[in-house]
Amino acid sequence: MAPLNSNRSVPPSGHRLPASVDYVAIAIGLVLAALVRFGVLHQIRF
Amino acid sequence: MTQPMSTQTIPMPVADSASHYATGYPGSGQRLTPASFLAMLPGVALLFGIGILGKFLQNGAGYLDAHYGIHIPRIEYVLWAILLGLLISNTVGVARIFRSGVATYELWLKLGIVLVGARFLLQDVLHIGGLSLALVAVELVLSLSVMTMLGRIFRLSPKLTSLLAIGSSICGVTAIMAARGAIDSDDEDTATAIAAILSLGAIALFTFPAIGHALHMSQQGYGVWAGLAVDNTAESVVTGALYGQDAGRWTVLAKTARSSFIGFVVLAYAVYWASRGQAERVTNKPLFLWQKFPKFILGFLAISVFATLGGFSIAQHPHIAPLIRLGFTRPQTAALTSFSNWAFLPAFAGVGLRTNVRDLVGQGWRPLAVGILGEIFIAALTLALVFWSYNHGVAR
Repeated sequence: MAPLNSNRSVPPSGHRLPASVDYVAIAIGLVLAALVRFGVLHQIRF
Repeated sequence: MTQPMSTQTIPMPVADSASHYATGYPGSGQRLTPASFLAMLPGVALLFGIGILGKFLQNGAGYLDAHYGIHIPRIEYVLWAILLGLLISNTVGVARIFRSGVATYELWLKLGIVLVGARFLLQDVLHIGGLSLALVAVELVLSLSVMTMLGRIFRLSPKLTSLLAIGSSICGVTAIMAARGAIDSDDEDTATAIAAILSLGAIALFTFPAIGHALHMSQQGYGVWAGLAVDNTAESVVTGALYGQDAGRWTVLAKTARSSFIGFVVLAYAVYWASRGQAERVTNKPLFLWQKFPKFILGFLAISVFATLGGFSIAQHPHIAPLIRLGFTRPQTAALTSFSNWAFLPAFAGVGLRTNVRDLVGQGWRPLAVGILGEIFIAALTLALVFWSYNHGVAR
């Protein structure tokens, strides 16, 4: 059995993103928020 | 006997197992390189293409109605995106060239959730999020008990029952994958549990909005219900969005509150199975909880804090003026909301594209029966809890 605190729980699938996708989402979100806050980016009509 | 999922259903824990365990690297084989990044682009383009086509079809129906009097049922882009994705996935299939890019739907979903934090003031998060936490606590205890009982009645293997209980009571596939290593379940049970949860999510997409309309539920009430009752985060967010944009954001809040329980429930199951000598003992419980915690919730909260700061007046709170200046103005909040909608667009398409009906129904009837009965119970229970909360002034 693999140690529980390893990343064993990540699926062995070839088509699933790694657990770090959460951090990537946070990083992109914060960068976008900063760009909006400091006037670099503006609303893109949805 | 279950059958392996095809390569279209994402994730697919049955196939291709041992080689990736050996590396111990999360999502082995997908280390981001320039080549793997480029390989994602066709799939990402497909996700956005389907989402934008959905928007076009929604607006096209409105245009034809307004300019030519041709009445076409006005279907929301959310549903168009899912239907188009389902159509592709279940007819021609998702070609290999698109698959790694289609898997990024999870990233877009989480990015959308982080950004939608701009629509929430911290007091809303604390109030409805706190209410959701209380309701989730009740739901967890009852749903875990009922699922365990149903698993015994239908003679499912104990670990499959555990996976179904975890998946249906917290957050679907993510919870199952988090529990998989912790309780040392085998690949077949994991695949079966995931298939059952995804099937039920697909059913919820079409039944929940109908029930919500039949009961004349408010946007907030419905949103909270969808967040509490629909298991998988992607399906849950879509089910909320199908009722309306406002419902969608309340669904995100309730769902994130529910997802925050994941570590505790998985830890409890890990301890249980370890006590029976059928799983590895958890040596560092705080680290275990942190590893299982869905980190994107922290991004959602961070954005919500900045949105809240923007609502304060510097004149009334001069002592925190530097912080207030960091907050978002109304146009900035609107801009982040639009980015959130753009991020959800490919995620909605991804839900359709990764759902292959043949895979989902091919996993045996008993797990599905347990899942359906359990989900009906959870849906009814959470609906009753939401109605009680709103009728007794607990929610506002």
